[in-house]
Amino acid sequence: MINVQNLSKVFNKDGVEVEVLKDINLTIEKGEFVSIMAPSGMGKSTFLNILGCLDKPSSGSYTLDGSPVQNMEDDELSQVRNSKLGYVFQSFHLLPRMTAWENVILPLIYSDDDSDMKEKAVEVLNSVGLGDRINHLPRELSGGQQQRVAIARALINNPRIIFADEPTGNLDSSSSAEVMDIFRTLHAQGRTLVVVTHDPDVGSQADRMIEMKDGRISSDRPTRSLSEENAK
Amino acid sequence: MRIIRMASQALQAMKDNKVRSFLMMLGVIIGVATLTIITSSVMGARSQVMSRVERFGLDQIMVMAGAGRKPGVPQPTPTTLKVEDANAVLSEISNVKDVTPQINRRDIPIKYQNKNSYAVIVATNPNWSEIWNTQAENGRFLNESEVARLSRVAVIGQTLVNDLFEGEDPVGKQINVANNPFEIIGVLEKKGSSPTGLDLDSRLIIPLTTGMKRVFNQDYITNIKIVVNDTSRMGDTVNDVKMLLRERHNLAPGVEDDFTIVTPTLVMALASKVASTFSIFLILVSLVSLVVGAVVIANIMFISVNERKSEIGIRRAVGATKKDVLAQFLIESVTVSALGGLIGAVLGVITLNLLSTFSKMQSGAILMPIIIAITCAIIVGLLAGIQPARKASNLDPIEALK
Repeated sequence: MINVQNLSKVFNKDGVEVEVLKDINLTIEKGEFVSIMAPSGMGKSTFLNILGCLDKPSSGSYTLDGSPVQNMEDDELSQVRNSKLGYVFQSFHLLPRMTAWENVILPLIYSDDDSDMKEKAVEVLNSVGLGDRINHLPRELSGGQQQRVAIARALINNPRIIFADEPTGNLDSSSSAEVMDIFRTLHAQGRTLVVVTHDPDVGSQADRMIEMKDGRISSDRPTRSLSEENAK
Repeated sequence: MRIIRMASQALQAMKDNKVRSFLMMLGVIIGVATLTIITSSVMGARSQVMSRVERFGLDQIMVMAGAGRKPGVPQPTPTTLKVEDANAVLSEISNVKDVTPQINRRDIPIKYQNKNSYAVIVATNPNWSEIWNTQAENGRFLNESEVARLSRVAVIGQTLVNDLFEGEDPVGKQINVANNPFEIIGVLEKKGSSPTGLDLDSRLIIPLTTGMKRVFNQDYITNIKIVVNDTSRMGDTVNDVKMLLRERHNLAPGVEDDFTIVTPTLVMALASKVASTFSIFLILVSLVSLVVGAVVIANIMFISVNERKSEIGIRRAVGATKKDVLAQFLIESVTVSALGGLIGAVLGVITLNLLSTFSKMQSGAILMPIIIAITCAIIVGLLAGIQPARKASNLDPIEALK
């Protein structure tokens, strides 16, 4: 599904070149639930942005679903983001003046799907337990609810891969638990999930945990929960 | 359809920010309102000029007694233009087909039984009716024998009929014109007001000879209307008339003409001059306000792009292409501007109606000015929106999401 070879990313900060990602090699198979763990500011968001086709690597190759991403034009990348990927952000990134369902249909606006957008939005909002909040504005919802609207938005085009950048970073523990429950359900449905976090509690809920240090992958192993499950 | 979904996003953004949208429209509203008023009144003025020229006749020359009005200087009535001048023009200049000399006098008291009114007296020959394209619709016009016999007969306009007769048939009735008894032989068709505001239906037409000998006791006339055969030689003919009259009036070289020649081109030029000076000024005003409108829209769009960075980032992250973002912002600025144009056009039309109610200003067609105005508004929206929209579309989604 995801294959990264010798990937590096260099930023030019005030004339000084900073190499944020160094020679990363990584393969994520279809249906995996992967967490990427690193302290803040260690390039994990940059890595996720590249995996999510929002940013391009400085060198190296990235193959997504069999297609080489590093050669794609901007329009193609938009198309990939729209149809194959779903995003969940730390600060939700909902449009404040739009209701829950209007936020959820955003990806549909840029797809070639002409079906009834609201009907679809209601369906997806139901699946994340917000069927009774479709006409609420983001400010009328709790943080956990807002994040669930954001997840519904990520799911509306039925993408194969979900990327989440610190999805629980702004949530209390019970909301975090709800969000992680949803992620596990999505994983159970066969989707590929990549979650970036600095929180070991969140990271350990994935099947596979990748730790990064100084722009390199320092460890890549199955989590205990998985090994425990396997042991049973 | 993707573009329709995009348009509805743009419209929603407008609706969500009503104050901002209204501020963006303001300049366009003002610009388009003035533009509508101007184009409509310029078109009105032009059609007025054209109808005036048509009424004047494209094959006709008018010779008026006197050197022309000079503002502020009271002038004696010019007495040099004679009936004989008219006859000489007809007989000596080959391109002249017909002439009709006339005397005009305003504010002559007339009376029928115990009712009074004031008339513009026109003393002239029977061919006046044809040359000035004014027929008698009830009764008949003057004839040659009445001119020869200095008959006291008159053809009167509709205003006088209304003033004096109240439903009675005026034909055959005796009226009193400046203390002379006259018999009414006909009623002129309705002509309305002249461009200078004179009521053409208050005219009273009598034979030229009767006017000269019996009413005014004068040998000079007010003007001569000349009809030419070949309009392509109009310029030469005007010159011939001028030379002939100067010769007949014994004017030495260098002395000013004691008559004024008016040609259709001159009428057109005079009539459009006032309108064009006025409209150039107003067109400048409306252009300035359209430019200001464009600058306002561009500025507010730039601010709005900055404010909505995260919105742009979100849209890009969920699959909007650069073109989608560009389209959304352009649709927004064009729609705002077009809506402002529509409001401006409506305000302009309302103002035009008020103006034509309270003044004699004529307005022309309404549709064309509105189309022009709204087209201008759309162009303004496009020009003003293109840079901000490009800025929005070129935002780096990652930067925009920070």
